[in-house]
Amino acid sequence: MTRSDHDRSGEALALTVLAPIQAGRESALAEVLDDLPAREGSPLARVPGTHFARFVVIDAPVYEGAPQKRDSWKASRLLFTSNFDAPLERYLDGLRSGLGADGETIFGHCVGYPGQADGRAWTAWLLAHRVKSSLFFGAYGDQAVQTVRDNIATRARLAAFALEAQGLAPAELEARFRAVFAR
Amino acid sequence: MSNGGSEHGSQGVANVEGKATAITVITPVKPWGRAALAVVFWAGRHLTFTLKKLQQLSFIHYARWAVIPRFPDGGAGERLHHTYLLFESNFNGTWDQYIDAFSEVVPARMKAIWGSSYGFPGPIPVEPFKAYIRRNEYIANHYWSAYPGASTTEIIAAQRVAAALEAFTQRSDGLAPDAFAAAYARFLTEVQGDL
Repeated sequence: MTRSDHDRSGEALALTVLAPIQAGRESALAEVLDDLPAREGSPLARVPGTHFARFVVIDAPVYEGAPQKRDSWKASRLLFTSNFDAPLERYLDGLRSGLGADGETIFGHCVGYPGQADGRAWTAWLLAHRVKSSLFFGAYGDQAVQTVRDNIATRARLAAFALEAQGLAPAELEARFRAVFAR
Repeated sequence: MSNGGSEHGSQGVANVEGKATAITVITPVKPWGRAALAVVFWAGRHLTFTLKKLQQLSFIHYARWAVIPRFPDGGAGERLHHTYLLFESNFNGTWDQYIDAFSEVVPARMKAIWGSSYGFPGPIPVEPFKAYIRRNEYIANHYWSAYPGASTTEIIAAQRVAAALEAFTQRSDGLAPDAFAAAYARFLTEVQGDL
């Protein structure tokens, strides 16, 4: 997929969505997003394959002063960015169903949002507001979310084992190792 | 809460999730900048030293730049006076450490990327650079990390540990206890720097 070439780093993909917010609903949308639960309560926790993601309400472009001409949008924007496991199509399915009612509320503040009942219309709307990356960097783009989590858990288990197993006789060391790290 | 150029850029609580910090910067680009950025990012993609330099910074999980000549509006896109440059990053550590590292370690690349944006003061000295980023930064209203307790360095170390453990488990299969204990000691020495 040519469009997403610069959005790839190994098996990780970048998605950037900038959607116009309906006039007068900027503050309400910001409040909805500000009030979302963090961590495992976040709707993004229900979207498989998401490494990092964010929602940002952007009222207006920054004006740096002359000689820049002052810009203003017809509508403020909702920025959604995600760093996630390929492929895109699977991720978008998970995004639509994972966000669920929260997704309806969030994107429902945006212009032309078709709702999630029609999956094709939902995907078309989202991708119509996509911005392609010029450069995407991932420090460990070869690792899926689950791999990262598994590796972190393995490292913690081994560190704990190394402490506990100090001074054990060889036979007991081997038996415990096999028990803890049985494949 | 969006920033829109106010001064509280580095203070947004929603920008932090465990060890991870979000940064979102959108800057207006000078008329000649769009062509210049095409070259800069082409080089970034094809000459691997830029990506390697980012890797050496060792605290960036994921980062992206996007050139926006038109803002999506569901149709042909909304064109403003200027093209805009979006930067988003997910990193561990503090905002100040992050900008300090950009300024100290990769100043030439920072200049190449933001040199065509209005108001960019240069990466050195760092304080005007920080002020510039703050003015152009937007605070996330909601930020999510799948592994908020882990730094980039820990994730990469954990990958090495997991691979080494898998290899050790295989090669130690069937060893007698004494040989196993000796192999285990060598294995721990091998991975201790990553634990």
